[in-house]
Amino acid sequence: MTTTDNTFIPLSEIRKPPVPDPAKAPTEDIREQLFALEDAGELIVQRVPEPYIEVMTKYGRTKKIPEQMTWHHKSCGQCGHIPGYSTSIFWLNRQFGMSYMDPTDQTSCTAWNYYASATSNAVAQAGVASRNFAAAYATGYFPMIHCGTSYGHYKETRHEIVHHEELRHKVRDIMGKLNKPLVMPEEIVHYSEWIHAMRDRIAERQVRDFSSITASIHPACHYYKLVTEDAIYDPDIYGGQRTATVTGIVESLGSTVGDYSTFFDCCGFGFRHILVQRDFSRSFATQRKIEVMKEEANPDVVITHDTGCVTTLDKSQFAAKAHQRNVGVPVLSDAQFAALAMGAHPYRIAQLHWHATDYTALLEKMGIDWEAAWAEFEVDLGRLERGEIEYLSWEDADA
Amino acid sequence: MTVTSPPSQFTALPGGGIAHGSYADVPYEDKLALWEEVKADARFPDYMYGCYECGICVAACPSARFYDFSPRKIAQAAAREDVELVFEQMNDDVWNCSQCFSCNRCPRQNSPGGLITLLREVAVRNGLTTAKDALEGYGRVVYKIMTTGTQISPDMLQPDAFPDWGPDVEKTSDNLELWRRALPPETLHTTEMSWQVSDETLIELYLIWLHSDVMDMIEQADEGLHMIILDVMEETLEDAGYEV
Amino acid sequence: MPSNRVVVIGAGPTGLEAARLAAELGSPVTLIEKKDVPGGMPIHADYAALTHHFRDASEAMAEMIDAVTSNDLIDIRTGTEVTAVDGEAGAFTVGLAANGSSESVDAGAIILATGFQHFDPGRETQQYQYYELPDVVTIADAEKMIKSGSFVTPSTGKTPERVAFIQCVGSRDRQIGNEYCSKVCCGISSKQAIEIRQMVPDARVFIFYIDMRMYGYWENEIYWPAQEEHKVNYIKGIITEILPKGGRLVVRGEDTTMGRPMEVEMDVVILAVGMEPSEGTTAMSGILNLPTNKYGFVETAHDILDTVTTTVPGIFAAGAAVGPADLDDSIASAGAAAAKAVSLIRSAGVPV
Repeated sequence: MTTTDNTFIPLSEIRKPPVPDPAKAPTEDIREQLFALEDAGELIVQRVPEPYIEVMTKYGRTKKIPEQMTWHHKSCGQCGHIPGYSTSIFWLNRQFGMSYMDPTDQTSCTAWNYYASATSNAVAQAGVASRNFAAAYATGYFPMIHCGTSYGHYKETRHEIVHHEELRHKVRDIMGKLNKPLVMPEEIVHYSEWIHAMRDRIAERQVRDFSSITASIHPACHYYKLVTEDAIYDPDIYGGQRTATVTGIVESLGSTVGDYSTFFDCCGFGFRHILVQRDFSRSFATQRKIEVMKEEANPDVVITHDTGCVTTLDKSQFAAKAHQRNVGVPVLSDAQFAALAMGAHPYRIAQLHWHATDYTALLEKMGIDWEAAWAEFEVDLGRLERGEIEYLSWEDADA
Repeated sequence: MTVTSPPSQFTALPGGGIAHGSYADVPYEDKLALWEEVKADARFPDYMYGCYECGICVAACPSARFYDFSPRKIAQAAAREDVELVFEQMNDDVWNCSQCFSCNRCPRQNSPGGLITLLREVAVRNGLTTAKDALEGYGRVVYKIMTTGTQISPDMLQPDAFPDWGPDVEKTSDNLELWRRALPPETLHTTEMSWQVSDETLIELYLIWLHSDVMDMIEQADEGLHMIILDVMEETLEDAGYEV
Repeated sequence: MPSNRVVVIGAGPTGLEAARLAAELGSPVTLIEKKDVPGGMPIHADYAALTHHFRDASEAMAEMIDAVTSNDLIDIRTGTEVTAVDGEAGAFTVGLAANGSSESVDAGAIILATGFQHFDPGRETQQYQYYELPDVVTIADAEKMIKSGSFVTPSTGKTPERVAFIQCVGSRDRQIGNEYCSKVCCGISSKQAIEIRQMVPDARVFIFYIDMRMYGYWENEIYWPAQEEHKVNYIKGIITEILPKGGRLVVRGEDTTMGRPMEVEMDVVILAVGMEPSEGTTAMSGILNLPTNKYGFVETAHDILDTVTTTVPGIFAAGAAVGPADLDDSIASAGAAAAKAVSLIRSAGVPV
C-alpha cells in the first residue's frame, strides 16, 4: 500500500482474503477420530454416498455433501407449523431426480426440548441421536438434517460420543438393548448445505426473475455458532468472514443481499421463550432484527435456514405491527426461496398460507399472480373436502 | 482433583457479616452438593476454562439485552467456584438464557450457554422450586416430545395458545385437517405429531428414556406429568411385550 | 571446516544487533537477509515511531544498518536464502541461494533472527470483517498511515471523528490456538492513539482492552500520558463484532466496568493484531532442526536462565523468533546471542 498522498486505495481491493490452510486448523478433524474409533471396533462410520459435492468449511477443510441417497431427518417446527419448508426441500430433491427417503423411523432430536427445559441429559440425548443415525444406516440412505438445532446438537453429541468414553459405552449399551449398532455419519450435513452446494444447478433451472428482490439474511445460530468448524465458508462470500450458507444461494439467484448491523444477533427464539416467555422473543425478533433490517436495508424478504428463525421472525411481527412498529417483512427459508425461483407453486409447495407476515408484495415482485395461485389451491382444497382425493399428491402439486 | 472454595468472601457486608444472597435458608452444604454435581458432568471441563472478563459473551448475548442477565457473570461465578452465587444463578438467572450459544465465541473457549445447560439440568434433577416454576406451563411440550417423539404438533396451533401471533392462527386451526391433507409429503398427513412416527420407533424411544434416567428427572420436576407419561409408555411397551 | 565466522540469519533489528556485536567482538560475520533490503519489520512494514521512546523508525533503523554496513568484518547478503545447514558447532557449512545461484559459507556458530509476522485478522474468532470493511485496519496498516503523515478514514479519505483500537486480536485466544500475550500491542496501540490524537486533535480515540499490559516504563511513558495528556479513552471490554451502518462502523461489546452491553459508532477501527512466527522462522526451524513450541516459535534449551541457546549446539536464536518480543527484548537477546556465539567459537579453539 502506498501512502504518499491522501488518495487511499480502498483496502478491500488490496486485501485478498486468504484461503485457510487446513493444516493450520486450530481444531481437530473429528472425522479422523471417528475413523480411529471405527478401526478400534467402537462404532460404525456411515460413509457419504457418491456422488458428493465438496465444499470448504471454516478452517479450510473439505466437507462432502451427498447429492442423493439422503435420509431426511425432519424438523419438528418445520413439519408442525411451517410445512412448506419441508415440502420445498423434498420438492427440490424431486426436481433434480435425487433419490431420497422420508422416513417414519425418525424421532425429533429432542434438542428443542432439552435447550428449553433441561428435562433430559447427555446420555439420553446421545441415545436419541444414535438411534436416528442407526435407523438411517439401516436403510443405506445418508442423514440430511433439516433442522439447524438438530444439526448443531448432533455435532455436540458427536463430540461427546467421541471424547467421553464412559458416555459412549452407556450409549452403546442402550443401542444394544435396541438391537442396533452405534453409528455416526462421516459428515453431519444440513439441508441448507446441500442447497448451497447445488446453488449453481438451482440457478440454471431458475424460471422466475429475482433480480429486483432485496433479501436480508439471517444465519441460524445453531448452524454456525455451535461447533463452528463444520459450517461452510467461502473467501468469495463476505471475504470468508461470515458463513457462506444461505447468502450463496440468494446471490446465485440474482437477488441483492441487504446487509444490516445486527446480522450476527440471534432471532430471539430462545427455545423456552418462544413457548412460555414470548415477550422476549417478540421484542428481540422485531426490535433487534426486523426493524434494523427495515431501517438499514429495507428488504423485500428475510431468508434464513432454520425452523425457529423462520417462526420467530415471521410470527413475532403481528404484535409489533399492532403497535405501529416499523415491521412487515415476510420470512422464508432458503428452500422455499429456491423452490419459488425454480417455479414451485406458492401454496401447493411453498405453503405460504402457513406464514403470518404479508408476503403478497414479494410474490408480485417474483412475478407470481398470487390470487390466481390461491384460486388454484382452493380448487385443490375443494377436491380434498369433497373426498375426490384423499391427499394432495406430488403430481397434483406440479400439475 | 477439584478444589472447592469456602463460602465466598466477596459477599462480606459492611458491618462484617456475610451475605447469603437470596437463599440464606438453604444450607451451604446443599448448595455445595449441587455445585459438585454440575462439576461432575463429563462436559464441564469443555465448558469452563477460566475467565478474564473481556465481555465478548455479553455483547453477543440476546438475553443480556432483555433481562438482568450476564453470561460473563455465569462464567465468573463458575470460575471462582462461588457456591453461593452459583446457587443464586441456578435459581434466578439460568432460565433467561436463550441457548443460542452466541457466547461460544469466548476466546477462552468457555461455553456459558453450555454451563447453563448443566446448571438447569442439575436444578431439574434436584427438583428446585424455581425449576418447577420455570417448567410450569411447559409440561404439555414435554409430554408431546416424550410420548410422540416430536416436539410440537399442528394441533398445538390454537388461538388461545398463541394470541399474539394474530388471526392467522385461528385460520390455520380452523382448516388444520384439510390443510394437512393438502401437503404432498406423505409423512405430514397428521395433526397430532410433527410427522408420522412409526410405533416401532416410539417403542425404541421409550426404551431410551427408561435406560437413561430421564424419567427420574421428570419425576423430580413434575410428579403428575411423570405419571401421565409413564402410563402412555407402559401401555405401549407392555402391548409390545416389554416388561416395564 | 572449523570457522571463526558467525552466520546471522535475518537482518531485522535483532539480526543487525547480533551481527554488529559479534563483529565488534572480533568475529567475521555473514548476515543473510531474504528481502532485498535490511531493516526487518520496522522498514518493510513502514513503522512510524518506535515503541516506547517514539524514536523515528527509519532513523533508528538507518543507524543500525549503518553500524553494520560500515564494518568490514560484516558481509551483508540481501536477497539471499539459507537452503541447507550441515556440520556441527564450530564447523558448520551454510548453503545459500541468491538470484538462482548457490554457494556455501563456513561458520563456527549460527544466530537465528527471523522474527515474527503480524496475525492475519481474517482468522479472528470475533467478527471484525477485516476483509469486508476498508475502515477496519490493523495496527500495521495504521503505522503506515501515521508514517505517511495523514491519518484518514480509508474509505472516504476524510478526517475521522471517532477511532477505536481493539486489543488482543489473535492473541490470548484458545479458539485460534494463540494462548500467549503478544506483549507489544498494548504499547503500540497506546503510542498510535497518542499520535492520532496529535495528528487529528478533534478525533476521539478509544482503546477497548481486557488488561492493559504496560510494564515498567511503558506505564509512565505511554499509558498515563495517553490518558492524562492526550485524553485517550480506555474502556475495559473487548469488541465482539463490527458491522457497517449508515457509512460508519458499529462496534458492539460490553463495557465490563459498567456491566452493560454497548454499541457505539466509529469511523476507523484499528485491530491490535499480535505476533506469530514469521515464514522465515518456520522455514529455518525446519532446516536447522530446531524444536518449536506449539505456536511455532523456536524453543530455547534453558528458557529462563538462557534465552538464546537452542538444543542444537552452536545455533542460537534471538528476538521474536523465540516468542513475542518488544524491541528492548530483541536487542538484549541479540547481544546475548552474539556474545555466546563468539564465546563458543573461542572455546572451540578457533582464533578470533
